[in-house]
Amino acid sequence: MEFYLSLLTLFGFRILLGLSAYVVILTGQISLAQAGFYALGAYTAGAASSMWGWPIFPAILLGGLVGGLFGLLVGFPALRVRGLFLVIATLAFTEIVRMVFLNLKYTIRVGDRTIGPAAAEGFRGITYYFQNGWSSLQIVAFTWFFVLVVLLAFWLMDRSRAGAVLRAVGEDELAASSVGINLTAAKVAAMTAGGFVAGLAGALYAHYATYVSQEDFGVLLATFAIAYALIGGTGSVLGPIAGVLFFSLLIDGLRFLGDWRNLLFGVLIVAMMNLRPHGIIDVGLVRRVASLLRPGGRKAYAGD
Amino acid sequence: MVDFLQALVDGVMLGATYSLLGLGFTLIFGVLRRLNLAFGPTILVGIYAGSHVGLAWPGALWAVVAATVVAAILCGIYVERCSFRALARQAPVVSMISTFAVWMQLQELVSLFEASRTMPYPSPAWLPALTVGPILLRSDALLMWSGATAIMLALFVLLYRTRFGTAVRAVADSSEAAALMGVNVSIIGAAAFLLASTVGGLAGVLIAQSQQQVTPYFGLWATVKGLTAMLLGGAGSLPGAVAGGVILGVVETQTLWHFGGQWRDLASFALLFLVIALSPRARSEPTL
Repeated sequence: MEFYLSLLTLFGFRILLGLSAYVVILTGQISLAQAGFYALGAYTAGAASSMWGWPIFPAILLGGLVGGLFGLLVGFPALRVRGLFLVIATLAFTEIVRMVFLNLKYTIRVGDRTIGPAAAEGFRGITYYFQNGWSSLQIVAFTWFFVLVVLLAFWLMDRSRAGAVLRAVGEDELAASSVGINLTAAKVAAMTAGGFVAGLAGALYAHYATYVSQEDFGVLLATFAIAYALIGGTGSVLGPIAGVLFFSLLIDGLRFLGDWRNLLFGVLIVAMMNLRPHGIIDVGLVRRVASLLRPGGRKAYAGD
Repeated sequence: MVDFLQALVDGVMLGATYSLLGLGFTLIFGVLRRLNLAFGPTILVGIYAGSHVGLAWPGALWAVVAATVVAAILCGIYVERCSFRALARQAPVVSMISTFAVWMQLQELVSLFEASRTMPYPSPAWLPALTVGPILLRSDALLMWSGATAIMLALFVLLYRTRFGTAVRAVADSSEAAALMGVNVSIIGAAAFLLASTVGGLAGVLIAQSQQQVTPYFGLWATVKGLTAMLLGGAGSLPGAVAGGVILGVVETQTLWHFGGQWRDLASFALLFLVIALSPRARSEPTL
């Protein structure tokens, strides 16, 4: 039971991370900055709860807000560059965040323990859950509260004008701007929202892990965030969940291969991108399912 | 003042190898319009091969060089098959993510075969160090600079003074126009890839003999240095990549000297981010 609860908690972080990449990809941008936002959220929220004595809820929110703030800052260069160069710029951002935490030394002593980011040794002692005697079930519930709120928010957004605007920018920037959509606002908003969600995910992860280190927040994490959204599909908010399930099953299913797993992993990603270029849950699938659910659905779809 | 000059000279020597990495990136990006993130890991495999040959036959430097370059070229061909030829030209981002997957493969491959992770690399130790006034020129740095300069000269003669070079630059300028003039675009693309892998392998030899050891992190390191050098030079210009590499080298050694080693990599990533954010070229179509 304990095992499944911690697996469920891990899925929560991964889904949030996937959703943060999802909202950015909707506007047609591929960002590797998600790992940087995640790290910023983890370190700030960890410091807030374990060093400044904040209650857990504001601490997690602070992690999200700091992620969002940096999303806003990184979003502006994103207006100027796109495609390959945006990927490289955001990769550089993630590495810069990692290097800063590699050098950041800011610790306090509580009793006989040292708490805080200790440069290369990482950030120890984010023990809010432990100190307050939370059970695994409570941790799962707390994590999934945030996951469900974000899922709901993105689902509502997708059904509103805002979602249509983001998708329009992602489909064709020229067409979107010629019908009066502000490209700048749409892209920066998506980046900020993505930063906020990634920050939340990092904040929750730091409290679950109790120890974080800059090594956890490298390019690999950023690539996974994109992979969850791209392989899962961006047709619906359920896409990143499908992506997380696909990868988690793959990771555990291929465990028997030992160290050779990562070799095959790359091959499978490439193969998947060739088989379903728009992910598992793409726009076509969403339409098909929606029309099936409607009364007299099949006919409606056939006439589409 | 002497410190500043010393760091400047060290930077120029180091920067020459960054220029080579930048030229390798520029060749691929200019001709194929795609980024090959696996460029660094390709060189990594080459250096590991060279290191093994160096351990097996101590003293046979030419064999080490040959093994490094040949392994880098073979890996380059593998990357070209997997991530460039197989995927459509219209999908540069898919192609780049695919090179990232190949990067993971190559790095894992190296880690799997090396238990110790850090491998020694032979260096011609008989070369003397030079002193010019108060400035010290280390022998390995001098070799790095002169080797890189010689390779760059040869490359520029090849690209600007031969029919093949004209064809490469024509394809980079406009592949449609070049095709209409009877240039075989796909062969030129493959040749540019081979040329870039060769230059990368040679750069690997020069860098590894200076550092005298190699770890699996070399792949990421080389990719970032090459990309930064290329982008500093304006993403697609060959002389620009040379200048970009030297600028990067000088910025790094000055940071190292004034702020300490832990900020060195931060400086190069910050430079990469700023260059992309501020460069007008990052948006427009590049030409070679």
